[in-house]
Amino acid sequence: MSCATPVDSARLTDYWLALVPEAEEHAVEEHLFSCGECAARLGEVAAIAAGIRRLAQEGSLRMVVSEAFVRRATEEGLQVRQYALPAGGSVECTVTASDDLLIARLAADLQGAKRVDLCICDGAGAEQVRLADIPVHSGAGGVLYQESITYAKAAPSNRMIARLVAVEEGAAERLLGEYTFNHTRTLPGPGAFPEPPLAES
Amino acid sequence: MVLMSSDLTAHADDAELAARIAAAADREAETELFRRMAPRIRLFGLRRLRNEDAAADLVQQTMITVLKALREGKLREPARIASFVLGACRMSVLEIHRGGRRRERLLEQFARDTEAWQMPAPPVLDHHRLTRCVQRLKERERAVVVMTFYDEQTGGDVARFLGVSETNVRVIRHRAIHHLRICMGAAA
Repeated sequence: MSCATPVDSARLTDYWLALVPEAEEHAVEEHLFSCGECAARLGEVAAIAAGIRRLAQEGSLRMVVSEAFVRRATEEGLQVRQYALPAGGSVECTVTASDDLLIARLAADLQGAKRVDLCICDGAGAEQVRLADIPVHSGAGGVLYQESITYAKAAPSNRMIARLVAVEEGAAERLLGEYTFNHTRTLPGPGAFPEPPLAES
Repeated sequence: MVLMSSDLTAHADDAELAARIAAAADREAETELFRRMAPRIRLFGLRRLRNEDAAADLVQQTMITVLKALREGKLREPARIASFVLGACRMSVLEIHRGGRRRERLLEQFARDTEAWQMPAPPVLDHHRLTRCVQRLKERERAVVVMTFYDEQTGGDVARFLGVSETNVRVIRHRAIHHLRICMGAAA
């Protein structure tokens, strides 16, 4: 049996997040209780939300995060290893078995930058992965970058360079900061890189 | 084709099931009504109570209330069964918040019935696939869904972090969910 008046996914997500007005919320609930199809679609949204929470807790996403993210993880009892670097700085770093999340605090003057990309490079400076148009705001004074803890735990001793660049009109790039991570493997085992994280599609 | 009794039950609409329970406390109809309503009540409970155990309690308590009322002929219009379940759900949430003794009495009274109820399994996502799908999102889309579902930030907080309007955050979030559903194999 197919629903004649399906609730669209956007509305279901708003409902799940309690973002719909009370009167509308009642109407959505009346529909969900009489329609197994739309209830199942709400179940998908709920499952995706739960899956994203789990992914965040696993620290396996390579992404820019907020201070609230780090605060939340700490409150949940996760072990957050953090390194703070000024623009042009370098750091000796490692990751241990008990670490849950790995965060780099990259200081930079972001004033006037409309679009900022974060380039992850190998030790020779060759770009491997680019996180394009990362979420930043000009007054932030820097970026919090989460490296995948799964990736870091499997990595051998190596050097990684991160670059923050402002992308300007005509695709011209302006370097905002370069950060060098001299990673020493302290976990037992030979250490080998897993499959590289997916590049932007 | 000859339809078996259980086939007839599976094809009956919610109002027919309610009418059969009211008429003869039909166990097969009760089981089928539970199978249909349990996932809806669970979601209602998860959204309000944010806890799987509490949501499971809500399912049990609500269905006991509903079946008791149906057996006692208190639902005059079987066509309104969905609204009736929703109403019972809302009352049960209040009852859970109050930690009332009525709930314990009902659980004792309906112990034999609840043993026969099997909670339908909620949808299970392929976690590795979800990882790939989330990593494929645009940076801002990924940030918005993580801030929304993990950091539990308001639209205003996310908007300030991204330097965009709240309306824009909503658009980015919906686009991200749409991409994730498609990537996970859901129908658009």
